[in-house]
Amino acid sequence: MLQVRNASVFFPARDGRTVHALDRASLDIDAGSIVVALGASGCGKSTLLNAIAGFLPLSEGAITLDGQPVEKPGADRGVVFQKDTLLPWKTVAENVALGLKFAGLPARRRRERAEELLGLVGLEDFADATPHELSGGMRQRVGIARALATDPKILLMDEPFGALDSLTREQMQELLIDVWARTGKRIFFITHSIEEALFLGTTVVVMSPRPGRITARFDLDFVRRFAADRDVRAVLSDPRFAELHDEIRNIVHRPSHEGRRGGQREGWLQ
Amino acid sequence: MTDLARADDTTPAPPAAPKLVQLHPFGLGGARTAPISLATGAALLGLWFLAAQYRLVPPLFLPSPQEVATQFLAIAEDGYAGATLWEHVAASLFRIVTAAVIAASLAIPLGLAMGLNRWAKGVLDTPIEFYWPLPPLAYLPLMIIWLGIGELSKIVLLTLAMFAPICLSAQAGVRALPIERVNAALSLGATRWQLFRAIVLPSALPEILTGLRIGIGVGWSTLVAAELIAATRGIGFMIMSASHFLATDVVFVGIGVIAVWAFAFSYGMRLLEAWLVPWKGKS
Ligand SMILES: Nc1ncnc2c1ncn2[C@@H]1O[C@H](COP(=O)(O)OP(=O)(O)OP(=O)(O)O)[C@@H](O)[C@H]1O
Ligand SMILES: [Mg+2]
Repeated sequence: MLQVRNASVFFPARDGRTVHALDRASLDIDAGSIVVALGASGCGKSTLLNAIAGFLPLSEGAITLDGQPVEKPGADRGVVFQKDTLLPWKTVAENVALGLKFAGLPARRRRERAEELLGLVGLEDFADATPHELSGGMRQRVGIARALATDPKILLMDEPFGALDSLTREQMQELLIDVWARTGKRIFFITHSIEEALFLGTTVVVMSPRPGRITARFDLDFVRRFAADRDVRAVLSDPRFAELHDEIRNIVHRPSHEGRRGGQREGWLQ
Repeated sequence: MTDLARADDTTPAPPAAPKLVQLHPFGLGGARTAPISLATGAALLGLWFLAAQYRLVPPLFLPSPQEVATQFLAIAEDGYAGATLWEHVAASLFRIVTAAVIAASLAIPLGLAMGLNRWAKGVLDTPIEFYWPLPPLAYLPLMIIWLGIGELSKIVLLTLAMFAPICLSAQAGVRALPIERVNAALSLGATRWQLFRAIVLPSALPEILTGLRIGIGVGWSTLVAAELIAATRGIGFMIMSASHFLATDVVFVGIGVIAVWAFAFSYGMRLLEAWLVPWKGKS
């Protein structure tokens, strides 16, 4: 289990002030769950993910993965970035197998595993292409395959589909659910989109900015239902889905948030 | 009824050889400039020919292309100042290549270290920033006093001139490394050495090769200064020696030979770049 306990992060800002980016966030990510963090821009979602990934030390609090404190990045936590971070000098298969190379696996085994993972994300025909020959959605899929290659205990995804068009985005969401259903990986997923959060999360935590904190939490079963019958319409037309959508929307747009005026409400909701 | 998807014999068959297209590059990209460059070269040659033909400039200052060509053949056959043309070229090439190898093998590791390590940066910054803007001719006398008039002082002078651009670009290569790329590798379990080997070095490679290309160019432009030091061989020596006798045509031959070799090196570096970093500018 991944546990985040009272995690706070203060960043130094200009002229000696501090930014309180994360305020006493607590979170559990159990086996088989997809925890989605949802919130407006600047509410500390990436900060939380970076701390879990080990890129960022906490000012206060603790993070443990299966009882081990998290201090540094490591292959037990696979990360999928918003911006693609594939190496342009390596082929798609080599990129996918990068973590296996670091682990010292022989070339043949790496290749086999890379092909298997590329099959999982539907890119078996592109093993020998270079990343710049792929579209944005394809690169993001390679990124997911790469993060899965080292068989991490948890997958951390920072708005991985944020830059994709809605059609590709839906395909990618379904792909992610497939991967999750097949591998049983825990996933921590960040998004701006309420719909995406509701569709993907077994748990959705809503965050609010300044200071960034977790303000609400919902346990859902839409994703399990979708994984079982693959019926998107049944999920989207469920009255519960629309209700939750409104409820979350109201939390996110609660007027107590600084700088929020009537006219700006829809701003970040696309 | 309109059936837009109907297979229709008015649909043009796809051309046998379809037109291949690519993204519009920014700036020059891969646009072919060779024909323009060749035309410019031919025009300059023509101007030179005309200027000499109509005596617009006294022959002592500007020999005609034919004279220079004749002189070139004469030197190639009989040599100049006690050495054949090839011996002069070989002496210069030996100095340049030796200095380039030494400069690269010192400057690349040191530049990378300066990009990665506070101490390396702190210690090396001062001497490098101090010496590298100096013209090599300014510290030439020191080279002679310290190292004598043999090959050593010449090679050290060239090495110093080439070192700085290579070192600075290796540093710049490390500094331009995006942090996400580092974090991605760390979260895939890279050790520090693997991070360096698999991420830092290849990411800095394009910059390093650019530095190498600039360094070798600087080497050629320092060659004449280096061969001012009591040389008996070398293209730079040949030029200096000819200037004492106002043998302008020999000077022209020397300049031409240097230009051709410098161009060949630069072209070789470009091929090396295309081979080693084909992804440059694509990410
Ligand atoms: N390195 C940093 N130095 C100073 N302040 C930072 C730093 N990184 C983030 N912040 C601040 O911390 C707050 C939270 O940032 P964070 O990147 O976690 O937001 P986010 O929820 O991921 O937003 P987005 O949805 O736009 O990605 C912001 O106010 C930001 O300005
Ligand atoms: Mg973010």
